[in-house]
Amino acid sequence: MSTVGGMAGSVPATPHADSVGKPPLPRRAADFLRRNEETGWRGVAWVAVILPLAALVFAITVLAVKAWPVIGHNGWYFLYGRTWTYGNQGYGGGPGATFGAWAIIWGTIASSVIAIVIALPLSIGAAFALTERMPTWISRPLGFTIEILAGIPSVVIGLWGILTFAPWLAHNVYPHIASVMPDVPVLRYFRSPTGTGEGLLSAGIVLALMIVPIITSTTRDLFTQVPPLPKEGASALGMTDWEVANKVTLPWVRSGIIGATVLGLGRALGETIAIAMIGGAALHIPTTIYLPFTTIAATILTQLDGQLANPQGVSTLAELALVLAVISVAVNLIARVIVNRTGRVGAPLGGA
Amino acid sequence: MMSSLSAAPTTARRRIATQVWRGCTYLALVLLMAPAAWLLINVVAKAWPHWQWSVLWTQLTPTGGGLRDQILGTLILMLGVFIIAGTIGVFAGIHLAEFSRPRQFSGRLSGPLRTASDVLSGFPSIVLGYVGYVALVVGLGWKLSLLPALIILSIMVIPYIAKNTETALRQVPTGYREGAEALGMSSGYGLRKVVLKSALPGIVTGLLLALAIACGETAPLVYTAGFSNTLPRSLTGSQFPYLTYMVFTGYNSPEVQYHYLAFDAALILVVIVMLLLVLSRIIVARTQRHSESSRVTERRGLRARMRARAQKNEPLLGTVGAPPR
Amino acid sequence: MTKFMRTTRLTRGVIAVVAACLALSSVVLSSAAASASVRLPSSGVETPTGGTVSETGSTLLYPLFNLWAGGYSEKYSSTTIQTAGTGSGTGISEAENGTIDIGASDAYLSPTVASANPSLKNIPLAISSQVVAYNVPGVTQHLKLSGKVLSEIYQGQITTWNDAAIASANPGVTLPATPIVTLHRSDSSGDTFLFTTYLSKADPSGWGAKIGYNTTVPWPSAPGALGETGNSGMVSGCKATVGCVAYIGISYLQQVLQGGMGYASLQNGAGQYELPTQQTIATQAAGYVKKTPASGTISLIYGNIKGGYPIVNYEYAIVNAKQSSSSTAKNIRSVLEWAINTKYGANSSYLTQVNFQPLPSKVTAQSIKQVLGIS
Repeated sequence: MSTVGGMAGSVPATPHADSVGKPPLPRRAADFLRRNEETGWRGVAWVAVILPLAALVFAITVLAVKAWPVIGHNGWYFLYGRTWTYGNQGYGGGPGATFGAWAIIWGTIASSVIAIVIALPLSIGAAFALTERMPTWISRPLGFTIEILAGIPSVVIGLWGILTFAPWLAHNVYPHIASVMPDVPVLRYFRSPTGTGEGLLSAGIVLALMIVPIITSTTRDLFTQVPPLPKEGASALGMTDWEVANKVTLPWVRSGIIGATVLGLGRALGETIAIAMIGGAALHIPTTIYLPFTTIAATILTQLDGQLANPQGVSTLAELALVLAVISVAVNLIARVIVNRTGRVGAPLGGA
Repeated sequence: MMSSLSAAPTTARRRIATQVWRGCTYLALVLLMAPAAWLLINVVAKAWPHWQWSVLWTQLTPTGGGLRDQILGTLILMLGVFIIAGTIGVFAGIHLAEFSRPRQFSGRLSGPLRTASDVLSGFPSIVLGYVGYVALVVGLGWKLSLLPALIILSIMVIPYIAKNTETALRQVPTGYREGAEALGMSSGYGLRKVVLKSALPGIVTGLLLALAIACGETAPLVYTAGFSNTLPRSLTGSQFPYLTYMVFTGYNSPEVQYHYLAFDAALILVVIVMLLLVLSRIIVARTQRHSESSRVTERRGLRARMRARAQKNEPLLGTVGAPPR
Repeated sequence: MTKFMRTTRLTRGVIAVVAACLALSSVVLSSAAASASVRLPSSGVETPTGGTVSETGSTLLYPLFNLWAGGYSEKYSSTTIQTAGTGSGTGISEAENGTIDIGASDAYLSPTVASANPSLKNIPLAISSQVVAYNVPGVTQHLKLSGKVLSEIYQGQITTWNDAAIASANPGVTLPATPIVTLHRSDSSGDTFLFTTYLSKADPSGWGAKIGYNTTVPWPSAPGALGETGNSGMVSGCKATVGCVAYIGISYLQQVLQGGMGYASLQNGAGQYELPTQQTIATQAAGYVKKTPASGTISLIYGNIKGGYPIVNYEYAIVNAKQSSSSTAKNIRSVLEWAINTKYGANSSYLTQVNFQPLPSKVTAQSIKQVLGIS
């Protein structure tokens, strides 16, 4: 630089004192960004990953704070009592308000159990059918249908349930079941009256339809991850397909299936809209399995907007929501423990 | 897969047992497919007789009309969730996949964080809606409006996006990362230009899944967005329209037109979900051509399987292990 | 300091004080004027400032409000009324917390809510009533049902239509042995409020003591009892269920009859069985006019009124008297004034479509007074 052009005296021999050795500002900025880019990524990523935990803690705190005023008043009766009334003197609570939520909690658990009992064999059977010996041109569209079923909004399933499926069940299926049931302790629950289709069994069946995709796709993925050599070896030893499935495949995927089932259970516990539409909204335990009932989620959904001017009602519904939140968190944690213990995680829904 | 190897069973009992079992699995499949198909056909059958294309661009009135603002509302909700939850979820997934070192603080914390994320994905939506109502609608005074709905919906779907992003990032071969580092890229640059780019299809699949969930939710929206016939002009303060509420309340409405609109809304929702699923399938199929973890090799012969295993550096004869007890 | 400057300073001070007094008094006077002198124009309805007035609540009032929304917008095209039918409890709640401008309710505010929200008003708009519908095959006449019988039906103590209690009140009617399926509202409903008030008053030692009245009550587990949403859910549910009994708002009477269902004559406090006709409803309402307080809070149900139909009620608009902006307040006042005015909303052209009746003039005046207090 100092020798270019040869203009005597116009360019100083030594550079200006302040900018000794430093590149110009734009270049310095680019260097700064490049060096600290990773820190930037890390920082934002840290904030992002803390968010779910923060949201959970926030949600539970809000519920606890909102429910606090009535927890003492409702006491333990809340969990085992069977009468749920906002008072008997007109809108807005007051004397006579008793909140016993056992029937509601029972309904939540019962509908989820029915859903699991129906969904589990269906899912495993369907997963086997789809992965063993089925040509691709059938299994692809069927697999796609299952994915669609997973994605359909529950309100649409509820609409079909209440307008078409539940009445069909009540006319064509339930009377036949009820007519063959003897009057013995457990089966007594399946006798008449069979109601109009809005009730526990219909809701349970629809719930099963909603959680089958979760269990089926996880099971299918797990089946494809089973190492082929043990299966081929068992076949070579002369075991039939059924025996291979039973003795080799199923034990391998058992804990994964249990994990997926508990996940489906978590989904069933929180399902709101479909139950609100098909369940029939009865605040007591039904006398037969076909009759109306209610769940925590459906109760909160249908009752909250009517109670907004009644602080006691709002706080009690918060307490109910807290109960559901605790149950749901517990179920999901158990699922994680089961899945993590064997290190086998099912592929995410909707993934490849 | 095993047809070439299954020997004929020797006793009739075992043969019958296999046939019965096979029949049961097909029965299970039918019992599953029949209601699903019935549902889809029913949605179309109920909406089609009274379908008018004007439903898509007419406004909802107390006595009938169309679903224009409701469709726009659902699309806006999906867009908002895409932006908010997409950003946060992708970053969370990046953290879990890239930045958690096993033996350091970040690694030890990532287990609980991942668990928290999974627990959140199973959290009941109505409870989140209630919390949104208490904290945002009433607590912050935003009233039933778009912003509380966006926040609550985003919280609901962030875990799905994070999990999909993490899985997609983990599937990027370490060879790519090592190559980038060997070429002298700073780790942020390498992350941006190499790793994220190759994980993009998986990330996009997760985002599409989140959109499908967001467009189908009702319970939390009832208490954060309320409902409206028309699209408001502000983020807070006025109630927001969306499709699922029409399905929830329309079929029971005193107005007969609302019954038809409820079926129409259900049909539109199913179409949106199907489009999202088809889109994600296309993306997945496109990238499986390039991906190394293709499952298509499962069905081919023994030599093809050995080749695939060699590519992945696995033992050629497969792992022989006892199933866990 | 010169004399001139002292004078000037004194004058300046006096002028300042006088000016301040004038300013202060004008502010006080103008605000007083603004809050006190809301006057009805000669047409009887104020002109709205334009925008949307949102209404939600009772499904009993919903059909009428829909008709009103159309008629009102024809006259005042700048303002639209957005209606929804979500249940009276929701109408009260959302009016109370400001989510909605006008809440429609068949139920008046209970003492608890009224005292907790002193600015919340229930303003009578019209007189409506409720029918008890049933789907009993082969019965074409109007069955005579008393409150006590209905109470026992809904408690599950009477389970078939040919029960002795029903048969003894209906000699000459062949009642089948069909099981009774009771329908109730699963949402927070003013119709539930009305029906359970009737049951409580007619059967004080039974229903009144055990269950009472509210917009949501713990319905006893009668066999097969079903919950439906909204009046239209009750209509469609009863139509689809043989043997059902349901309480439905009178604005749905056409649909009840079109669905092939019948409706009952109910026993009033004087022991007579009356059908819900214009005559009987008007008689019942007239019996309570003198007792209606300025706040409009009164139940018109049951009572010893000869010739009166026992389930009659005022339809209320639940409004917060303190609105956030004066233009919203003006819009609300305009809508309500239009609705109560016999030339417009309270005209028989609207009311007869839903079998409602206009308010007696004394109650109309009281309602207008309440409406003018909204600001």
